[in-house]
Amino acid sequence: MATLDYANTRYSTLGEINRGNVSQLKVAFTFSTGVDRGQEAAPIVVDNTMYIVAPYPNVVYALDLSKPGAPLKWKYEPKPAPASQGVACCDVVNRGAVYWQGQVIFNTLDGSTIALDAATGKPNWRVQLGDINLGETITMAPMVVKGKVLVGNAGGEFGVRGWLAALDATTGKLAWKAYSTGPDSDVLIGPAFKPHYATDQGRDLGKSSWPGDAWRLGGGTVWGWISYDPELDLIFYGTGNPGPWNAEQRPGDNKWTAGMFARDPDDGQARWFYQFSPHDVFDYDAINESVLVDLPVNGKPRKVIVRPERNGFVYVLDRASGEVLSADAFGHVNAITGIDLRSGRPQYNPDKQPAVGKVSRNICPASTGMKDWNPSAWSPKAGLLFIPHNNLCMDWQPNEVNYIAGTPYLGAESRMYAGPGGNRGVLTAWDPVARRAAWTVKEDLPLWSGTLATVGELVFYGTMDGWFKAVDARSGKTLWQFKADSGIIGQPVTYTGPDGHQYIAVLSGVGGWAGTIVVNNLDSRDATAGGGWANAVADLKQRTTPGGTLYVFALPH
Amino acid sequence: MSSHCRIERLLGVLLLFAVAGCERERREYHAAPAGDNPRPALTEFQPGGSDTAVSAIGAHFEANAYHINQGGRWYRSFNCNGCHGNGGGAIGPALMDEQWRYGGNIDQIHASIIDGRPNGMPAWRQRLTDEQAWQLAAYVRALAGNVSMAAAPSRREAINATPPLNQLPPQPPRGGDPPTVPTP
Amino acid sequence: MSAVPKPLRCLALLAAVCTLLVLSGCRGVQSVLDPAADQAQAIDHVWWVMVSVCSVLYLAVLVALAWALLRARRRREALAEGTRHDPAWRQALVAWSILVVGLLTWFVVIAFLADQKLHAGHPDLEVRITAKQWWWQVEYLSDDPQQQFVTANELWLPRDRTARIELRSGDVIHSFWVPALTGKEDLIPGYTNALLVTPRRAGAYRGQCGEFCGLQHAHMALDVHVVDDAQFAAWQQRQRLPAPVPSTALAQHGQSVFMGSACLSCHAVRGTVAGSRLGPDLTHLASRRSLAAGALPMQREALDQWLRDPQHYKPGNLMPAVPLSERDRAALADYLMGLQ
Repeated sequence: MATLDYANTRYSTLGEINRGNVSQLKVAFTFSTGVDRGQEAAPIVVDNTMYIVAPYPNVVYALDLSKPGAPLKWKYEPKPAPASQGVACCDVVNRGAVYWQGQVIFNTLDGSTIALDAATGKPNWRVQLGDINLGETITMAPMVVKGKVLVGNAGGEFGVRGWLAALDATTGKLAWKAYSTGPDSDVLIGPAFKPHYATDQGRDLGKSSWPGDAWRLGGGTVWGWISYDPELDLIFYGTGNPGPWNAEQRPGDNKWTAGMFARDPDDGQARWFYQFSPHDVFDYDAINESVLVDLPVNGKPRKVIVRPERNGFVYVLDRASGEVLSADAFGHVNAITGIDLRSGRPQYNPDKQPAVGKVSRNICPASTGMKDWNPSAWSPKAGLLFIPHNNLCMDWQPNEVNYIAGTPYLGAESRMYAGPGGNRGVLTAWDPVARRAAWTVKEDLPLWSGTLATVGELVFYGTMDGWFKAVDARSGKTLWQFKADSGIIGQPVTYTGPDGHQYIAVLSGVGGWAGTIVVNNLDSRDATAGGGWANAVADLKQRTTPGGTLYVFALPH
Repeated sequence: MSSHCRIERLLGVLLLFAVAGCERERREYHAAPAGDNPRPALTEFQPGGSDTAVSAIGAHFEANAYHINQGGRWYRSFNCNGCHGNGGGAIGPALMDEQWRYGGNIDQIHASIIDGRPNGMPAWRQRLTDEQAWQLAAYVRALAGNVSMAAAPSRREAINATPPLNQLPPQPPRGGDPPTVPTP
Repeated sequence: MSAVPKPLRCLALLAAVCTLLVLSGCRGVQSVLDPAADQAQAIDHVWWVMVSVCSVLYLAVLVALAWALLRARRRREALAEGTRHDPAWRQALVAWSILVVGLLTWFVVIAFLADQKLHAGHPDLEVRITAKQWWWQVEYLSDDPQQQFVTANELWLPRDRTARIELRSGDVIHSFWVPALTGKEDLIPGYTNALLVTPRRAGAYRGQCGEFCGLQHAHMALDVHVVDDAQFAAWQQRQRLPAPVPSTALAQHGQSVFMGSACLSCHAVRGTVAGSRLGPDLTHLASRRSLAAGALPMQREALDQWLRDPQHYKPGNLMPAVPLSERDRAALADYLMGLQ
């Protein structure tokens, strides 16, 4: 699976490549996806075959690693609707496929989930889950838990009502679907639901915390990462921002958006929920990875979730109850002054609260967050969470917005720029027990790629101008780097090849929300272009060009 | 005798100004019926030579300050700014530069708005009146600086994102630098 | 005494007629002289004090002037003498100054007190009015978001309770003025102003925009209804409900015309996919007293004419004439008249 394991650690025990020899890493082979849009996927490797999902048109490639040069075994073209490109907020990306019992299962931009036979590439089943005329797309990497494929939609910027669906992995039949807003019956909240905090307790909060019917357009889409704890038998995932961005049109806490659920994977019933941003005003989606770790908290070992959140805090939550054990800022934050651990609610800075028609300036972190979707990696050996993230602040102006189905439902303009220090990206090695950073590496450009941590005490990540780096997990010192043909926003993975050697694979190809200025050729004279990103990376067109190439590295042998 | 001539001359000049300025203030609340719309070619590539003249109705809309400003209103109200930003683009391409996939003169922009385009531009034909679509097209032209400075709006309504439209240099749809060596 | 000359008699007659006409304006839905709320009462009090005092003084001055003119005819010679050293004259001057200063001070005081009264009160109802060209968006706010709802061009207030009306603008400067209830307050883009209103008499009133805001400034009226608590609660309950489902086949066709045409881009009908705030919320359109912010009565015939060509009644307003067939328009009108 794209997350490497159910716990979302993205930590590999393959140690052939280590701090000592990584400087000798060389390109083993490459492969062009044929699509030069943002490549956010994680290649997955099963039985000496590598499976890659490209961005729209979502071609799936199977590469035969047992032959020299990894030739193409098969490819599958799902042919999604071209119009789906018009309702994808943040480039036409896809975050990868999942392998399960001889099938490769992935999602298409226009909202279908397809299971292919892993050997031949022929489709076993195909289900249409989303409707582009409502602004729905699907970009996330699915996960299979106990024979069910978990799929969530995207479109919080289009007034789409978010959901997480579970399909039978063999047949594609819908097993259950949990919405992120609306009455308890739709959100699959029942007698098993025991949220830790009082503000999350009550009946039909998914309706009563919204005015009128606003919950139908409420967002809370599930376009990010899912974790699974086999011991507790719970899945964990987050919900996206509420819609529209203009918060004045949706007074109330706007449950169950911008928070995270724990659910029973068999029937989808919710066990607990925690809301990171009640009545979110800054587009702080909560879909980031929930890293499942056993940590000592106050001296006692506990099963926790470590979450580097969009709002700038690293949360440590109890896996069973959803209690927040700690929340500490991992960058410069002024939108929120702190998290009240008793009530669980963030304390919003009143100076930074936006109002319609008013421009609020210098809000940190920007709407893209201290860290967006790109996943961090946990090394149990180092006891550190390696977080690839941004250092961006923004000016933000909300205004009234009209809901017209299929068009963006935003109501806010923003202009993003570098935060204090001038560097727009950071790699932070965070110690969740000590609750502070062990070391940081400043990057000029924001980091939009995932990370990979290995037992060889290495951390791999890529920059938006194409440098793929391996740094020392103890200090952050760059031990090896390679300039790829285009910016890297994908998720690096590692595997053991048929020859027994360790390989590192990553897709290069700039894009995503951060890189839209390159792939869509935006004009940065408009500081609000690209949802504010064009201003933040106005120099990106000079630093990289679109691409779509798989790079696989190995030690010389 | 000379003072009469002077007064008459002055009146004549004032009259000229008045006439020239008329277009800026002319407001029409009804547009021509949809049947009068041109069906422009979306490319200049027309075997044997191309005819790229803009229709009279299009030329009229993009010369009128009221229509351009109304187009600016619709641009925000109908969420064009959600996909195209304030001209810089986002989900959709930038509208303030000189690159156009489907043509950048007002007829072609109007057709793109009404008909939609295959890679994500919605078809607005059922959701707008024709006059609104023309007004939007005129505003889109203004975003690239391709309307008369007298007609373009002089202030931005949004977060101060781009220069005022009447200060943008014209960027005609044909991209690239002009040839420096004449065609032999 | 000589007979009153003819022109003077005509003038007196004219003055009497004018006075009667003016007095007839003392009543009516939009009359400032017929206060129906505490705030209007306070303003009315100040107004009457000023009018009375100034009228009395005016008459006194006129009488003095007339007396001086009449006396002057007979005693021209007596006035030739210097009167500046007459102590009675100086006393009269001093007394007059004290009187004027005193009256002016009184005016300042009562105006100040009236102003205090206008801003005093503990509101238990919050309404947010956003003025747009050329209609009023009226949102009833509440701590419980589910109790909130949006309507347009009408304001219902409960009697004997204080409402706080938050004022915002969606485009240019407007001014909120319901003369029978309170004074004017501007709605300025980028600012939020507020007014308190405590109506005391049930009834229907009319407000209008008091700051020139463009072509249709004159056609931007607001229907205000003051009712007792129970009726107000019932009205609020009805407004919170989603739009009624069309019952006849023609109205159903009208709904599909609405959802399939440009109507969807501008108007919201709660309970359907229409959610735009560009134009007035139509969820309970037919329950309102007038159409187009007071420009037309709420009748099917008027609605049909409005749909045919809104530019005819309010040229320059933002609603275009959407081309529809006769049958579609009739169905649409049926559907809209069913939105009670």
